[in-house]
Amino acid sequence: MALLEVKNLCTEFKTDQGRVQAVRGVSFELNQGEVLGIVGESGSGKSQTMYSIIGLLAENGIVSDGQVTFDGMDISRSSFKTKKEYEEKMRTLRGNTMAMIFQDPMTFLNPVLTIETQLTEPLINHTKMSKAQAKERALELMRLVGIPSPEKRITQYPFEFSGGMRQRIVIAIALACNPKLIIADEPTTALDVTIQAQVLELIDTLRKERDSSIIMITHDLGVVAKLCDRIAIMYGGKIVEIGTDREIFYEGKHPYTAGLLSCVANPEDDGEKDLSPIPGSPPDLLNPPKGCPFVDRCDKAMRICKERMPEVTVFSPTHQCACWLNHSKAVKK
Amino acid sequence: MSEQEAILKVKDLKTHFDVTKGLFAPKQIVKAVDGVSFEIKPNETFGLVGESGCGKSTLGRTIVKLYDPVSGSIEFNGKDISKLKGEELKTFRKEMQMIFQDPYASLNPRMTVGEIIKEPMIIHNIYKTDAEREARVVELLEIVGLKPDHIRRYPSEFSGGQRQRIGIARALAVNPKFIVCDEAISALDVSIQAQVINLLKNIQRKMGLSYLFIAHDLSMVKHISDTIGVMYLGHMMECGPSNDVYHRPLHPYTVALLSAIPIPDPDISKAKSRIVLEGEIPSPINPPKGCPFSTRCSKATERCRNEMPQPVQVGNRQVSCFLYEK
Repeated sequence: MALLEVKNLCTEFKTDQGRVQAVRGVSFELNQGEVLGIVGESGSGKSQTMYSIIGLLAENGIVSDGQVTFDGMDISRSSFKTKKEYEEKMRTLRGNTMAMIFQDPMTFLNPVLTIETQLTEPLINHTKMSKAQAKERALELMRLVGIPSPEKRITQYPFEFSGGMRQRIVIAIALACNPKLIIADEPTTALDVTIQAQVLELIDTLRKERDSSIIMITHDLGVVAKLCDRIAIMYGGKIVEIGTDREIFYEGKHPYTAGLLSCVANPEDDGEKDLSPIPGSPPDLLNPPKGCPFVDRCDKAMRICKERMPEVTVFSPTHQCACWLNHSKAVKK
Repeated sequence: MSEQEAILKVKDLKTHFDVTKGLFAPKQIVKAVDGVSFEIKPNETFGLVGESGCGKSTLGRTIVKLYDPVSGSIEFNGKDISKLKGEELKTFRKEMQMIFQDPYASLNPRMTVGEIIKEPMIIHNIYKTDAEREARVVELLEIVGLKPDHIRRYPSEFSGGQRQRIGIARALAVNPKFIVCDEAISALDVSIQAQVINLLKNIQRKMGLSYLFIAHDLSMVKHISDTIGVMYLGHMMECGPSNDVYHRPLHPYTVALLSAIPIPDPDISKAKSRIVLEGEIPSPINPPKGCPFSTRCSKATERCRNEMPQPVQVGNRQVSCFLYEK
């Protein structure tokens, strides 16, 4: 059975202009020990999908539909009677069996608390550890994520750490209670390439050693190619294609997937090939299009694309794509 | 490489900042750019890469004279501009423009697109009447792929990619010969980045511009640049034709930096073993005594730790490393 199962998740935000439909029916599964990459441009709903799952939506956000099952438990908002009950349940899970790594370590860490306080907090809250035991474990975690002289560093404050080291602390906090699921939201975007390489290497070793399941949200296709087993491509609040890394990179079926791949420069490529950008910009989710969200930027769009949402075509047990081009009646070019 | 005369020659340029805190504190100096030399030829794109804090933006800003260098010379079109002041500086600014990183912060929210693009023309007194300026704005908007009726709108009505196009139109308004693009695409989404890169390349072909393209995204820099300079802690470590630098990096830092780029191809990426550099960039207030990279370099010797290597010519490249000394 899958560790995390998300079915038809829908999230809306109330704004002065109306309801922004940030997530519009997202479904996927995540198995034990698997790394799933969620790729999309800003505003595609990738982060909001994750915040909906772990219950960290902003005040004006509501999960309007869908079901989330984690480790055999139904943790959808609709399965709880009151908001308070839901919040309490989620509080016992977050930082415990499901943990998050955020993009900017400086805003995640509390600037006025020492690393010790912040690292031992989840341990003391979620397990029955004493303060001394928690500190012992905290030192062990710091060694695990490769922070030199942890005994000295543990008494310091976040501002005394560099960007890469701070991100290691965030990872250590996420790992504290041996989570079953780690959600990493752009964990390396704020870092320099050589530091990014260090952090990616760390995440890769940790997952191999601990068999953790990771959801990696990113817009960097290079990071995804390096780390992920399966990849979901999001656009306009929907997953337009999902498959294994090879299925997405080499056998991608959606025009958006193809477009994304052709507009990143590959340093291994030689020569003067021009990048082929995707024209236009992403749809406005305040008034999402009736049909396929990508229709206005797609060079293969047909009449039906504007009128009806594409059906999901299954290519293999792992590979699915929502595009009318895959319909049997579509004209093959 | 042709033997064309370079449009920009930078020689041993140094830009330092005084960061002393307090009245009695010892003097502290950040050597953001510390002896950098390179040349840019007409119609060429020079890509400047490096990690944050390496001084690449400071170098760009010193070249457009937003900062004053401590020493060294910047020769533009055969004229040293490092000490220009007043009226002469203003004339020079017409020749060299800049495109900034953040399209949200670099456009005045209270000015319409037309006013933003017109402003440099008014400052430099290029057209006589407002009607002429207006006509030029419409022309520029078309060049950068926006519509003429956008002229009365405000920046807030545009997306990030469109705003960056407005920034490009503003830079082109005074018909410059040289544009410094400081992380001009970093704030944009991938599909939009490619649009802006192609636009910059097209404009270059049409108008015969030279670019100094500063970015930390190595793949994009490789894509747009003819020549690449790799900076580390205020020094130029390696400089040469972009394909050569990418395929046969010489300096140990370039080797490590390039191997850290994640390749968007799972077969290559998962098989590739990377050189993961230990440690972090040293503080530019207290740089290592010898080669700035010696603290993280696997090939460092005693000499590297004590002595700063001078740039040596290896083929068509310049490398600052003792490994290549004859």
